[in-house]
Amino acid sequence: MFRTSAARRASRLARNFATVVDTAGVKVAAVDNGEATSAVTFLVKAGSRYQNKPGVAHALKNFAFKSTSKRSALGTIRESELYGGVLSSSLSREHLALTAEFLRGDEPFFVDVLSSFLTNAKFTRHELQEYVAPVCESEATAAAENPASRAVELAHILAFRQGLGAPLFSTADNHVTVDYIKDFASSAFTKDNVAVLGTGVSQETLSKLVEQSLGSLASSGSLSSPASTYFGGETRVDSHHGPQTVFIGFGKTGAFSPELAVLSSHLSPQPSLKWSKGLSPIVAEIPETASVQTVLLPYSDASLFGLLVQGQTTEDVKAAGKAAVAALKEAGNVKGEELKRAIAKAKFAIASSAEGRNGLIATLGPKVLSGAASTLEDTLSSLDKVQASALSQATASLLKTKPTYVAVGDISALPYADELGL
Amino acid sequence: MTLFGPLGLSLAPYIRSSRTLRRWIKPFADWYVGLAGYRKVGLRYDDLLVEERDDVQRALTRLTPREAYDRAYRFKRASQLSILHTNLPKDQWTKPEEDVRYLKPHIEDVEKEENERKVWDSVHVERK
Repeated sequence: MFRTSAARRASRLARNFATVVDTAGVKVAAVDNGEATSAVTFLVKAGSRYQNKPGVAHALKNFAFKSTSKRSALGTIRESELYGGVLSSSLSREHLALTAEFLRGDEPFFVDVLSSFLTNAKFTRHELQEYVAPVCESEATAAAENPASRAVELAHILAFRQGLGAPLFSTADNHVTVDYIKDFASSAFTKDNVAVLGTGVSQETLSKLVEQSLGSLASSGSLSSPASTYFGGETRVDSHHGPQTVFIGFGKTGAFSPELAVLSSHLSPQPSLKWSKGLSPIVAEIPETASVQTVLLPYSDASLFGLLVQGQTTEDVKAAGKAAVAALKEAGNVKGEELKRAIAKAKFAIASSAEGRNGLIATLGPKVLSGAASTLEDTLSSLDKVQASALSQATASLLKTKPTYVAVGDISALPYADELGL
Repeated sequence: MTLFGPLGLSLAPYIRSSRTLRRWIKPFADWYVGLAGYRKVGLRYDDLLVEERDDVQRALTRLTPREAYDRAYRFKRASQLSILHTNLPKDQWTKPEEDVRYLKPHIEDVEKEENERKVWDSVHVERK
């Protein structure tokens, strides 16, 4: 009996935004599974690819929840602490996400906090100097000292140059001023650029609150980013922090391709079972002290697929890199059981990431914003339809493009792209 | 908040709000400013504010680079004149329209922030 009721409850849980309602020009989507807490995310198309000057998007992200004409930065923090809420902002290359998580019933206050940043933020010069710039600087330093994130950042510059290649982080050298931030904010915070996503909130409540608070936004903005083109290239950067790192990437323009997701899960050496080595073709060849990760970064009009090779020594990286490239070249011949396994793994990864609150917003938010069907079903079914021939074709066309090769670490000894067989 | 001095309590807003009072007091005020003599060495009124205070120090960091540079320049020039026991030539005196309160708004902002912090630190929360 218990099992049937649990099963029934599970089937009732909605993992999709059932409806997307156009509220006063803003897209609002909400799903309520009866959680004890609610979360509201304002997803804005204001990622680093749209910025008018390098670093502005990052500064805008850190300006979130600073003083507005309604309440000061301190007031925002203290009042949300009294409500027991958590405010956060995050930036990707495409989107700026402002999120508030709070107890049920407090949505009027938190929607007001989020929307007052969109409608009447002050962007004062002293807040930029005193609070925002130091945070930007430390985030940029942390990212630059992590060889993996530095390699991926450099790979974007090489792969896409403009647009997606724009730097994600803002350093002091960018000389971002409040005027640039104000400009960027006023062109980004418009009705057609914002989607409001709620979990644990009913659609009607959220729509009503959004209508009240965002009704005064301008209807359409002027942000644009050039369509992505893939270039590729090679670079080597000296670094003395962390492991020796090599990133071997390939780019592809166009929408999300299920073949790449299958290829990524086929190559990924991440074991499904603890203490085991997994069945990836790469894993048998790489030294114990080296690691290989597959990286798949899908964007709205391009994707970057790559292998991140890290090791204690440069010899490790060379051996592991060779193994990874050899496995990638062989990946076109995958069929039968192996293909089924890869497809199942890719489906599970996507489905389970959409299970959590952040994953749901990250997977479905962009779809809501672009007006596409906001369900996972089509993504999952497109993965199901991947054939061995399509996979080998996709792999072959990927290998035909110029690779994006980044080496971070001891550049005198790290391998060059041709030494790995590219 | 100090009770006396340039940052303390002031009747000026009240006097400025009344036309009659303003007309009567203005000549005396102008006479007093001339007598104080800071304009003759090229300073502005906000240069005279006591800066050895935490709130004023914080406000000083909020000046634009240009304002901070000009302030330092005025101080240097004034101390040089003090050494020479002389005033600037009359055409270089601070003109009344140049004598703007460039620092006071920042000090007021800092003070408002500190007061708000005190309020939040001692706020009494009631469940509705």
